[in-house]
Amino acid sequence: MLSLRIAARFLRRNPVQSGLIAAGIAVGIGVQVFLGSLITSLQQNLVDETVGSSPQVTVVAAAEGDPVDLTPTMWDALSRDDRVTTAVPVRRFSAIYRRKAESVPLQVVGGDLGALDTIYDISKRVVAGRARLSGDAVIVGKDFAKANGLAPGDAATLVLPDGRVAGRTVTAVADFGAAAANETLAFVPAGFAGDVLDLGDGQYTAVEMQVSDVFQSTAVADALRADPAFAGTKVTEWQSQNRDLLTALQSQSSSSYTIQAFVLIAVALGIASTLAISAVQKTRQIGILKAMGMHDSRAGRIFLWQAALLGVTGAAVGVGVGLALIVLFSRLASTFTITPQWSFVAVSFAVGVLVALLSSLIPSRRTSRLDPIEVIQSG
Amino acid sequence: MAEHLLVADGLGKTYGDVVKTTALSDVTFSVERGEFASVIGQSGSGKSTLLNLIGLLDTPTTGQVLVDGRETAALGRRGRARLRNELLGFVFQFHHLLPEFSVVENVLMPGLIAGRDARRSRVRAEEVLALLGLEGLEDKNANELSGGQKQRVAIGRALLNEPALVLADEPTGNLDTANTARVYELFRKVNAELGTGFLIVTHDRSVAQQTDRILEISDGRLVQDVRNTYAAPAP
Ligand SMILES: Nc1ncnc2c1ncn2[C@@H]1O[C@H](COP(=O)(O)OP(=O)(O)O)[C@@H](O)[C@H]1O
Ligand SMILES: [Mg+2]
Repeated sequence: MLSLRIAARFLRRNPVQSGLIAAGIAVGIGVQVFLGSLITSLQQNLVDETVGSSPQVTVVAAAEGDPVDLTPTMWDALSRDDRVTTAVPVRRFSAIYRRKAESVPLQVVGGDLGALDTIYDISKRVVAGRARLSGDAVIVGKDFAKANGLAPGDAATLVLPDGRVAGRTVTAVADFGAAAANETLAFVPAGFAGDVLDLGDGQYTAVEMQVSDVFQSTAVADALRADPAFAGTKVTEWQSQNRDLLTALQSQSSSSYTIQAFVLIAVALGIASTLAISAVQKTRQIGILKAMGMHDSRAGRIFLWQAALLGVTGAAVGVGVGLALIVLFSRLASTFTITPQWSFVAVSFAVGVLVALLSSLIPSRRTSRLDPIEVIQSG
Repeated sequence: MAEHLLVADGLGKTYGDVVKTTALSDVTFSVERGEFASVIGQSGSGKSTLLNLIGLLDTPTTGQVLVDGRETAALGRRGRARLRNELLGFVFQFHHLLPEFSVVENVLMPGLIAGRDARRSRVRAEEVLALLGLEGLEDKNANELSGGQKQRVAIGRALLNEPALVLADEPTGNLDTANTARVYELFRKVNAELGTGFLIVTHDRSVAQQTDRILEISDGRLVQDVRNTYAAPAP
């Protein structure tokens, strides 16, 4: 621990220099923490907006147009997979909303409100009226309601796939979070949809699911495809249907990694050069310590300890700076909150310390090789 | 028969790869425990070179240095560092104190390097400082002392690990007459009281006259090695 003591003393004797190195590390790590959390939160936000309130895995019948017979074994399989957070049987059909001479296409989803809420979050998204899905109810999106001058309590006439006409009553208007959904999505009771599609009990057009980690959708879908209970069905999942989005997220990630890597390199170069200067400044002291019998590796460790002390202090301050930036950003831009990614914060801290240690390798090697005679002779 | 404390066996040193300067050639002598000896010679004659070689700070071009009968070349850098710490004490013309540390910390540093208990080393350092008449200066920074005080702190540091031999290279070269006299009195006192050996490099014949043995170096060769019966023993 003598090396540590000497390192601490050396640092304290040059407070400005030590402060500058620590500040350099702090800025680098602060940027890491902020940028990393920002990008991750942005992506999570984007993914959430894309698939947060929609099915991530969907089971339909293998033959298009056929219903899915939801058997108890299928239901068992779904409840056993704990990656599946919710599975909702739905009856979907297309309809046309008719108002005077105008026809507006609608995607109608039939189901139980409680179950539908676990995916579409309808009840929480209601902007007018009260979420209710029984009898002749229909819940519509806010853009659709606005375009057609509909409000809760109004009657709406739908032309069904087989040409029949059905009169419904708007119970609620909701904001589904995306323009397309707000213009075309509508929800009706499961029973009504069953009548429209002429389906029996236990027959649905699809089973829609959400999974605990959205990026596990592929694995979950694969598991279902391999399950004999799901023979005769077709399983789709959001990732294979959103390749472009995923590619965009990936390239955003890689450009963010590139920026972060260059920040770290700049920090490393800064620490390395300052530590090298410090090592030169302390050459005399190191020579004297060696003349008194301090061995080479112990003398070399002095600069390793200096780097460790600077790295830990700088990285800790950097984490604080990064978190402060996150709070500040979240206050200023109220529409979007950055969540600090704790695992990322921990990694950034460790990387900061590691970069500092790596930067000290050259000065500590120099120090361990220094011959005391060089110092003693030069006086 | 006990081994010699230190043996210089045919020591030679040539500096430089292109322009070669032979600073020392074929110097042979031995030093016993408790000796009070001096090395004298003109400036540039090779005294410092010799002292650095037997102090294991530098490696000879020819010959070898034996400590307690052991070849030091075979010990490696680490082994020689350990011998410097445990067996030798150094006092140079420049005090070479560590400006980052207080007086007492400077003095106890060789104890910490040896891995001794910090508390005990501190007690020992305070004793040494008292012996050197430096009480009350323990917690001052080394930079705040006068030249004479600094050199006495350096002597204290050299004595901390109770070395068998103190190597002093013109230790009073930067001091006035009063401080010079004081340093040699101290050396004598430590030699008499603790039995610490001294090998003092000087170009001042009157200083050498006060030691028990005078080794004279001229042009890199040992030209004389005499007992000095006139030296005044410590009172
Ligand atoms: N590192 C060195 N490189 C080249 N020549 C040196 C070096 N150190 C000492 N010398 C030369 O070796 C000779 C002896 O030097 P030194 O031992 O310092 O003498 P002294 O201590 O007696 O004054 C001198 O000629 C000096 O110039
Ligand atoms: Mg000299």
